[in-house]
Amino acid sequence: MAFKATVTVNDPIGLHARPAGQIVKAVKESGFDVQLVNANGDSTSAASALRMMAMKAKTGETLEVLIEGAEDASAAALVAQIQEFLQG
Amino acid sequence: MTLANGTVLTGLGVGLNSAVGTVLRVAAHATLPAWSKTNNDATAEADTLRVAIASVAADLDRLGVKAGGTSAEIFEALKMLLEDDELFEVAGENLADGWSAAAAFGMAVDTFAELLGGDAAFEERVADLQDLSKRVQAHIAGVSMTLELPETGTIVLVGDDFSPADTAQFTPAVIGVITIKGGPTSHTSIICRSRSIPAVVSVTEASALATGDEVLVDPVGDRVVVGGNVSLATQAIQFVAVSDEPIIDVRSNIGTLSDAQAAAKTGANGVGLFRTELLYLSEKTQPSVEQQTTSYSAILAAAPAGPIVVRTIDAGSDKPVPFLNMGQEENPSLGVRGYRLIHEHRSFIEDQLKSLEAARQATGREVWVMAPMIATVQEAQDFCDLARSIGKFKVGIMVETPSISVLVSDLKGIVDFVSIGTNDLSQYLFAADRMNPALGTLLTPWQPGLIRTLARIADAGRAAGISVGVCGESASDPTFAVVLAGLGISSVSASPSQVDVVRTALSSVDVAKAKNVANRVLEATSPETAKAAALSALAE
Repeated sequence: MAFKATVTVNDPIGLHARPAGQIVKAVKESGFDVQLVNANGDSTSAASALRMMAMKAKTGETLEVLIEGAEDASAAALVAQIQEFLQG
Repeated sequence: MTLANGTVLTGLGVGLNSAVGTVLRVAAHATLPAWSKTNNDATAEADTLRVAIASVAADLDRLGVKAGGTSAEIFEALKMLLEDDELFEVAGENLADGWSAAAAFGMAVDTFAELLGGDAAFEERVADLQDLSKRVQAHIAGVSMTLELPETGTIVLVGDDFSPADTAQFTPAVIGVITIKGGPTSHTSIICRSRSIPAVVSVTEASALATGDEVLVDPVGDRVVVGGNVSLATQAIQFVAVSDEPIIDVRSNIGTLSDAQAAAKTGANGVGLFRTELLYLSEKTQPSVEQQTTSYSAILAAAPAGPIVVRTIDAGSDKPVPFLNMGQEENPSLGVRGYRLIHEHRSFIEDQLKSLEAARQATGREVWVMAPMIATVQEAQDFCDLARSIGKFKVGIMVETPSISVLVSDLKGIVDFVSIGTNDLSQYLFAADRMNPALGTLLTPWQPGLIRTLARIADAGRAAGISVGVCGESASDPTFAVVLAGLGISSVSASPSQVDVVRTALSSVDVAKAKNVANRVLEATSPETAKAAALSALAE
């Protein structure tokens, strides 16, 4: 059962290279399989900065975070970290 | 072809100091072999690719250590793109189709370049990616990508543009840089600014420069002079205040409470542009009138003494406010933005004005309100009626569409003031996207097309008894601010960090001198001659 949460892109330039890089680092360190899903339902691996940038998520867009293979507490901590990176 | 001494090549200057040196023309790197299929086993090719990527990554690490500081972060970011899992995955699919390692990687990069394309925010990342792709392919082909610059001498490097890996190889001998492409926000510009290397970018004609040419790099003059010496360098003007008060009001641009506090520490006479959208961009639901009143009251109370000009929401699909549910648009800067939101979101704009009126009453401050993206007299009338029905404001509009810029005299009796947003006015006047770094030369405020438009707006405003302010980026340039004053603009608004410099410039001249400077600038037919005219008139 995947852990689900929502994050919002608050960075004024959208999901650009810097936050994407920070997310990849955090996701790889966690060892979990993390997917980001946009409003169109397109799912993208959060382990690839290029794929995340290619989503072209803009400021204000919300993304669903799906985390496999994690305890709820550590998954929630990772989501909080991802949200932090998206603050800009 | 050799250029005659005295030939002037124009571009966009980076930095305030000039340099004289010998051109070193950096040729495009050696050509890489054409992509081809291979009979080698895909696993062996994958190993070749892995080795090449690892080697380029190690190069980046080395360059990062050498560059140090913030530049090191750039290499960290490049390495992350290079080692992206999905990039290797896509390359792997190409290998499975029989392509060689170099071709498979190059094609994978193209795939992502395509996916990231069409978005100005990623333009430079795509250039970085392509540079990495060339490095990996060069490694596989055994082609050298190093610049091999001497350690001593006085070199002015001339090339198309320089990648992060190139600039990391700059030696102390590099005393000037000229690029044929790239804008004021390109990587080359950023690096040259941070290392105080005089540079002129976007010099289209620099391709005619050859190794060995002596040149003057003159960033303040936005030019390169072949055979020029330091005495020809354009001097940055040193303004010395001769009176206590500037000849026109200098206000500050703010967007947040901390901006208001920073502005209050300057000599700003009030606020010329309060960008309100920043209060809403991170809100998921529409804040209540009470919440908005609290935010506005805090900012109004903190703002520097004087009137506070508040711009109602200036959001659009490229700068969306989450709770207004803006759809995607093909051309967001030409779409439903600014005052155009009134059709779908009237209650939001009404609430904003109600909150501002409550904050005005709570703080006792003088509040002016203005709407952005007004294109017709009717829109101006509608906004003014609405604002006056809600509060005791001075009411005006932004002049940023070419259509309203020719209708200012018809605003008599409708608005109390107008404020020109030169950034957007330039973008719409020149049909040149502000987000596109390749169009920087069209968007300099020194373009005669813009300056003459500003003069007409100022004249029309004076005749109609409407005060005309300027709140765009251009007002933060002290020399340009003098020109604005001379054109008859009645106030300028600059970012807090520039307020005092602009004040000094406007306290260093009298009205007659500013008019003289403006008249000389109005005669110019190119941005270069306009700027030169201003500098020479000021020096008289």
